Amino acid sequence: MKRLLEYTGIESDRLQFSWISSAESTKFVKVVNEVTAKVKALGPNKRFVKKEAKVA
Amino acid sequence: MITFKINGQTVQGEEGQYVLQVAQKYGIEIPTLCHHKALEPAGMCRLCTVEMFDGRRSRFVTACNYPIWEGMEINTDTESVHQGRKLIVELLMARCPEVPILQKLGKKYGIEKPRFRAEDDTCILCGLCVRMCERMGNSAIELTGRGVEMKVDTPFHTQTDVCLACGACASVCPTGHITLDKIRDEITKKKNVHLIPSEYDMGLKGRKPVYVPYAQAVPNTPAIDRDVCVHFKTGGCQVCTEFCGVNAINHNMEDEIVELEVGSIILAPGFQPFDPSKFDSYGYANHPNVITSMEMERLLSASGPTGGHLVRLSDHKDPKKIAWFQCVGSRDLNRCDNSYCSSVCCMYAIKEAVIAKEHAGDSLDCAIFYMDMRTHGKDFERFYNGAKEKGVRFVRSRVHTIDPVHGSDDLSVRYVNDDGSLQEEKFDMIVLSVGLETSPEVVQMAKKLGIELTEGNFCKTSTFEPVATSKPGIFVCGAFQGPKDIPQSVVDSSAAAAAAGEILAPGRNTTTKQPVKIDEVNVMGERPRIGVFVCRCGINIAGVVDVPSVAEYAATLPFVEYATDNLYSCAQDTQDTMTQIIKQKKLNRVVVAACTPKTHEPLFQETLINAGLNKYLFEMANIRNHDSWVHKNNPELATQKAKDLVRMAVNKVGLMQPLQEAELEVNQAALVIGGGISGMTAARSLARQGYETHIIERGERLGGQAHNLYKTISGDLVADKLAELVADVEQSKNINVHLNSELTALDGFVGSFKSTVSSNGSQKEIVHGVAVIATGGAPLQTEEYCYGQDARIMTSLELDQRMKADDPALAAAKTAVFIQCVGSREPQRPYCSRVCCTHSIDNALELKKRNPDMNIYILYRDIRTYGEREYLYKEARGRGIIFIRYDLENKPQVEVADGRIQVTVTDHVLGLPVAIEPDLLSLATAVVPNRDDKLAQFFKVPLNDDGFFVEKHAKLGPSEFATDGVFLCGLAHYPKPIDEAVVQGRAAASRAVTLLAREKIKTSGQVAQVDPMMCSSCGVCVSICPYSAPSFIPADARMHAGKAQINAVLCKGCGLCVASCRSGAIHLKGFDNDQIFAQISAVSWE
Amino acid sequence: MSEWEPKIVSFLCNWCSYGAADLAGVSRMEYPPNIRVVRIPCTGRMSPKFALAALREGADAVWVSG
Repeated sequence: MKRLLEYTGIESDRLQFSWISSAESTKFVKVVNEVTAKVKALGPNKRFVKKEAKVA
Repeated sequence: MITFKINGQTVQGEEGQYVLQVAQKYGIEIPTLCHHKALEPAGMCRLCTVEMFDGRRSRFVTACNYPIWEGMEINTDTESVHQGRKLIVELLMARCPEVPILQKLGKKYGIEKPRFRAEDDTCILCGLCVRMCERMGNSAIELTGRGVEMKVDTPFHTQTDVCLACGACASVCPTGHITLDKIRDEITKKKNVHLIPSEYDMGLKGRKPVYVPYAQAVPNTPAIDRDVCVHFKTGGCQVCTEFCGVNAINHNMEDEIVELEVGSIILAPGFQPFDPSKFDSYGYANHPNVITSMEMERLLSASGPTGGHLVRLSDHKDPKKIAWFQCVGSRDLNRCDNSYCSSVCCMYAIKEAVIAKEHAGDSLDCAIFYMDMRTHGKDFERFYNGAKEKGVRFVRSRVHTIDPVHGSDDLSVRYVNDDGSLQEEKFDMIVLSVGLETSPEVVQMAKKLGIELTEGNFCKTSTFEPVATSKPGIFVCGAFQGPKDIPQSVVDSSAAAAAAGEILAPGRNTTTKQPVKIDEVNVMGERPRIGVFVCRCGINIAGVVDVPSVAEYAATLPFVEYATDNLYSCAQDTQDTMTQIIKQKKLNRVVVAACTPKTHEPLFQETLINAGLNKYLFEMANIRNHDSWVHKNNPELATQKAKDLVRMAVNKVGLMQPLQEAELEVNQAALVIGGGISGMTAARSLARQGYETHIIERGERLGGQAHNLYKTISGDLVADKLAELVADVEQSKNINVHLNSELTALDGFVGSFKSTVSSNGSQKEIVHGVAVIATGGAPLQTEEYCYGQDARIMTSLELDQRMKADDPALAAAKTAVFIQCVGSREPQRPYCSRVCCTHSIDNALELKKRNPDMNIYILYRDIRTYGEREYLYKEARGRGIIFIRYDLENKPQVEVADGRIQVTVTDHVLGLPVAIEPDLLSLATAVVPNRDDKLAQFFKVPLNDDGFFVEKHAKLGPSEFATDGVFLCGLAHYPKPIDEAVVQGRAAASRAVTLLAREKIKTSGQVAQVDPMMCSSCGVCVSICPYSAPSFIPADARMHAGKAQINAVLCKGCGLCVASCRSGAIHLKGFDNDQIFAQISAVSWE
Repeated sequence: MSEWEPKIVSFLCNWCSYGAADLAGVSRMEYPPNIRVVRIPCTGRMSPKFALAALREGADAVWVSG
């Protein structure tokens, strides 16, 4: 899946997977923070967005 | 009602309210430091100063204590108000330059450095603490002195008895001037001031007097701890009542005595962990780095006091080396009275060690000091082997003393190694694996009820009635029955329920009430008319999210006909109003933006049903748990997120379709496969509860392996008890026994199975609603240890047979040897057979009884006499039976030559080979399952690598399968002694009755459905479904032959087949592609 | 918008991560307000199509959690 994204030109970090049990709220918060930080580092998603796809 | 204006906006308030209260209601911000909702305002900090126009002139008033009146005009944000506040902040800042909240205010008002001379105070004399203390009904502190001398203090500046050290003053102090430390050192005379220990976090964390015991508590409502609540000491406080939006708090509630008439009682009081503080040598009471295993559980837990970060308590450093000490408070008569084995500690210690390594990384050194490693549960031995591979060290030694290392927080232990050498090792922390014991309160209760206890203070039961107490009608389950782990407790509890159900069967369904049915409105083909209800949840949501604007926004979304906000959507009156609105506005889809669907979806679906709507025309937007509660410092983005979530829900709900829940009659008969002890117990329980039951047994008689057993550990002859059970089964009018029978075909599913049984060559068909698999096990056929070469070498069961027959050769034998783990715990069979240690020891004791002079040797790897079986082990040692331990790498050697048997084993203490010439050699051969792949295929239930059936859930569903309507018990699940087989038989019956008693099964509407026109018959769904819901339509069917179909009754709606269908032929109702796409596409609309 | 805030479409399993998210709320933890949750019955329901759709619709990232 991540490779498919790379192929379409989307940074693979834009897709994240994790496993959290329903009791692990702390882990949930940790992962949200991590994911958000990673995406912020990547900046806005520019490729493949519908508007641009129409133009292309 | 008084109407006036704030900042030009017309507002309303009640007579007697103050300006600040009304402003807060309308979300108009007025800064204040000394205001508290529960206290009378005092106007001390002056920060809430606003401008008031009375029609003729303007003047400044403090908003917190200025009462409202008709027609007044308030301005909170004029230039002069701003200037006034700036001056106040500047003065306060000069007085207390280090206080963060004042620094923050200073920044807001653009003050870099106050123009006045800086002092170094931290108190702004707002008097909040004094008013709060007064409210506590206490008045321990006062504003003392005058003018510049004024300060918060106790009368005459002395420590006082009056102070309760409740901490209320510190909790309201805006500047941090008052701290708990100061209260302890300067104010109260109570020396032992500490946090209220949280029971759930084993005291590693504090809790409040008003508290929810733990996050997942049921019911999830707070309770007031009367022992610590200030109100119950002084009559004051009751601050909580001011904050509860629904007036739910009543301090005058009294304990109530409720009388219930019941036909049966089930005791499930559980255990208490052993308190190791009485062991001085371990220093648990005074060394913070010696903790109990229960404390370790909390330290490792993500919801624990450290959020799952493993630290040691003395200095919060990451530990590098941790040791576990087993058998603390178990198997120990010298230092405590618990001589039994607590059964669960070995396994939990290994689990904790493995998790600790997962948390802290592989470099963490974990060592477990133990006597015998007892991993006798299903798949436990594998876990033990896995832990060794992961580098957990296992040291066979009982450590007696822990010495603190001088000058550090480390701990030193000295122990004797396997080879007899003395070792000394340092650890960062030590975990005491504390045992299970019955609490004194439970012992009291048992006395009151008049039920007998064992010598370990557990409830006395018998092998064939393991959940019955000594008093008829009173049953027991869980750790009060004997120390045990979760799966065993779950099995027990089901069995106890069945035992009670058996005697109460005639009363079933006699007090059931039927709800009134409301006809469903047909909305098919209608344009969506969506109603959106946004919940304020008191202040839980509205305190952060701008609820009215979310409702306003929702009204603008496509197809939304109606949108509003509610104070508490889940309140009964709101529910009634919602029902009315749905009917009036002819809404056909509903969105509730409130809390989590996991707890509240069923409630709102009920509202839809009451309004005549199909309950699946509904969607929730979780703007509390996922929004207001987690973004409280970001109201703007939280409101934005709430709008997004509502939009997503609205976009999805428009596509929701009414779904039908199929109803299915449950055939009221049961089929039990296997006529051994557990199968017969299951059948008897089902029959006693009034259900027709069929037992099919392969052999020519009922009883299975029990025929080979001599006596139970409590001394009863198995044959007698077995005969009673067989007679019960044969005489029951509800049970049909089919001997010499086999299942040759199976059709159908839960509620309507059709089995073809071949008996003695003839075929019959049995229709049944549920099935219990009890196919049992058998002793391993072995050739190891010269078995078969000499009549004096026998298996444990053969020894039982000889005892039964009273073989005179037994008493004549001079020397007997028992070899344990024959075929168990080996690479090809990596499980413990659970019963053999107890069985061999019991047989050894029987031999001693028959011939007290006999020399008896038991060659073992670990003795696993778990629970109160430990007493037998102790007795065996007391009677001079010799236990010699061997390793898997160095097994005993057996030779038969010249009519003599010679056993050679290397003694672990001496390290030298010992040769024994026994007249009797008993081999504890492994218990192997009667592996039945055909049966597994019939019922589509899985087998594990060892050939045992795999239950639904290792902990919570041990007596049932993931496939609905199929249940499991006995040795087919895992090796177990008679009492556990009996319990599980009843447990399987109990689980089966939960289906049978319903008579009809209602399926969920959210199930997968195949579009046969699209299906390519590839079979991926059939093979991937964990619940066996998809199947192929038979090739000779008139329609769609060979295509897949999904049985709505079996489908759990997980969507696995939908995602994996290559043809896009499967749809998941309620979570279909278009619905999820609709949600996705709504995310980014602006 | 003064500062760019990403939008992350999160697919959470009803039984696992969705429960964890609920509990995070109950425990009043705080985290960045960038995720938008789509509740799915099980991560088995997750299909690559959903991830691609989310990215196409302008989400800045996709997070799948079981």
